[in-house]
Amino acid sequence: MSNTSQDMPPAGEPVLSLRGICKQFGAVSALTDIDLDVHAGEVVALVGDNGAGKSTLVKVLAGVHQATTGTMTFRGQPVTLAGPNDALALGIATVFQDLALCENLDVVANIFLGKEMQPYALDEVSMEIRAWTLLNELSARIPSVRVPIASLSGGQRQTVAIARSLLLEPKLIMLDEPTAALGVAQTAEVLNLIERVRDRGLGVIMISHNMEDVRAVADRIVVLRLGRNNGIFYPDTSNQELVSAITGAADNAVSRRSGRRQAAQHNVTGEARA
Amino acid sequence: MSSDKVNPVAPALDRADVRVRHDAGLGGAVRGFIDRVRSGDLGSLPVVVGLAIIWTVFQSLNPVFLSSSNLVNLLFDSSTVGVISLGIVCILMVGEIDLSVGSVSGFASAIVGVLWVNAGVPVVIAILAALAVGAVFGVVYAALFNRLGMPSFVSTLAGLLAVLGMQLYILGSTGSINLPYDSALVVLGQTLVMPAFVSYALVLAAGVAIFATGYSTAARRRAAGLTPPSLAGIVARALAFTVALELVAFYLNQDRGIPWMFGLFVGLVVAMDYALKRTKWGRSMTAVGGNREAARRSGINVRGIYMSAFVLCSTLAALGGVLSAARLASASQQAGTGDVNLNAIAAAVIGGTSLFGGRGSAYSALLGIIVIQSIASGLTLLDLSSSLRYMITGAVLAIAVIVDSLARRSRVSHGRA
Ligand SMILES: Nc1ncnc2c1ncn2[C@@H]1O[C@H](COP(=O)(O)OP(=O)(O)OP(=O)(O)O)[C@@H](O)[C@H]1O
Ligand SMILES: [Mg+2]
Repeated sequence: MSNTSQDMPPAGEPVLSLRGICKQFGAVSALTDIDLDVHAGEVVALVGDNGAGKSTLVKVLAGVHQATTGTMTFRGQPVTLAGPNDALALGIATVFQDLALCENLDVVANIFLGKEMQPYALDEVSMEIRAWTLLNELSARIPSVRVPIASLSGGQRQTVAIARSLLLEPKLIMLDEPTAALGVAQTAEVLNLIERVRDRGLGVIMISHNMEDVRAVADRIVVLRLGRNNGIFYPDTSNQELVSAITGAADNAVSRRSGRRQAAQHNVTGEARA
Repeated sequence: MSSDKVNPVAPALDRADVRVRHDAGLGGAVRGFIDRVRSGDLGSLPVVVGLAIIWTVFQSLNPVFLSSSNLVNLLFDSSTVGVISLGIVCILMVGEIDLSVGSVSGFASAIVGVLWVNAGVPVVIAILAALAVGAVFGVVYAALFNRLGMPSFVSTLAGLLAVLGMQLYILGSTGSINLPYDSALVVLGQTLVMPAFVSYALVLAAGVAIFATGYSTAARRRAAGLTPPSLAGIVARALAFTVALELVAFYLNQDRGIPWMFGLFVGLVVAMDYALKRTKWGRSMTAVGGNREAARRSGINVRGIYMSAFVLCSTLAALGGVLSAARLASASQQAGTGDVNLNAIAAAVIGGTSLFGGRGSAYSALLGIIVIQSIASGLTLLDLSSSLRYMITGAVLAIAVIVDSLARRSRVSHGRA
């Protein structure tokens, strides 16, 4: 943990840059010409509507899908990811939207899956302690780490998935809607964690639909729309602007809705005055 | 014993949540067991109950059934198909199936017969050749599965017929090769038993090993600040195991004793159990069987795991075939046909390995094959025709699968996957 700061590029250097990433699923172009940079010590929020391609981009970076075209540079080196193993070896850790946990294995086994201590005589005790330490850092509310994942609630599973991504001291962490199922305290804990990770000089990509969370931690907000880059914003951008970038129109369901509410409020205050 | 109160101020790491009932001591162990069974985590309970029923029925029909000599025979017969069944456990762990194990075992016995007896090759080389051929079939199935996405159900069904054809082909027109009676291989398969003191010593050693591992785990957990399992529970378990098995050994030693071939089978079971439970490979097998995509995203070499499962399964099938040749002192066209396939699969499932993947244990091969062989032996003693035997074994398999499916449903609703 202590040496991560020295072998990380100095803050501000790009950890990851993508140029012209395209991903086709048969006839569907899920991603078209995506450019993205993540710098050391930076939290990049990836936002966009449902189906915008956020998870697809994360999966390309995690080696789960292979990009159809485009180049990827990681810590200055051009890389190609043939599989999830390549990404893990580079130090790219991912919390997937669907979590990707094995329901038949217990919490410890899931956290250490693929990185077990002592492959020929599993060190269950050390793994259990490390698992508890990671979970406590996240203020996890998990009754026992020896129960199968199947018996945990959605939020508990999400916490396990996040704990797993922290196990290997990654260089870049990608969290795909990490707080979607979390309680108030756990969400705060995850946001704290994101900040701690950033302060250690790691790059973070975070996907969320919750603009409040995004503004709270993001240094940059990258908007995807229909599989394309649709602008880069900063946390001080107005909600209006962000929403129209996400939905692609100044006149959209969100602005109409808030317009209606404002009008209604206006009426109420107007009547009260009358 | 209040060893679970490591630190009165802060509870142990794993005892922080007040909602969980922590079962301590013997009573707690029993309560935990009942909970597990209720939620559909049956483990080896159905097979123990089933075995009790089967033994009671057959013993009341024919008092020879539970005699030492019949049980010794039963152990001889169990070992051959049991080894095949152990391979089935492997392949079921990853959620696939091998329907050709019977044919592969028959082909392996034919290879031993042809190479050793007909061609005069040293027996060890002949056996190794048979095992290698078995492994090759596994490689082929795995390649078809990994590269072409061919369901193992189909590829091994095709293999069942193709390998049977190879067996008939190399046996030629003679159809059957007798193995020399005084050879070490046939002696192992038919008569070689452990001296009484060796059997007692082995059981004792196993009991001590159970206690020692339990004790050292408890010590490590205590040292690490985790709640250790209760010492009384560890002692009770080791003691119950040792006493029960010493009695069984004593009973079997009244007749010929415990076959070395059965010893070999149990040794393989213990090794497989270790590999599945205590190694990274075993963890990966379970993970692939539970959620293949999640395993892949964790960086597990999923194709390699499938390869290892298929290869182990066919290699163990070949070994089982060699042992059956030894047991029958012949390599014939009938070897590996008939109910061998079904018995091997049924044994694994009856023993508690799920057909749905990701859940099972090497011990299910041991327990399951004893159930299957008990039925076969009981029906033979009653002089029932093989038609009835097939029907009854089929029904038992159906029941086992129903229990498996119901337990799975119950596990899902109780959140135990
Ligand atoms: N494996 C796949 N095969 C075919 N099409 C896919 C696949 N995965 C994603 N897509 C398509 O790619 C597009 C982008 O999906 P993606 O999951 O990346 O969206 P998202 O931005 O993560 O949305 P959400 O906010 O709902 O999670 C969708 O149109 C989807 O249908
Ligand atoms: Mg998504």
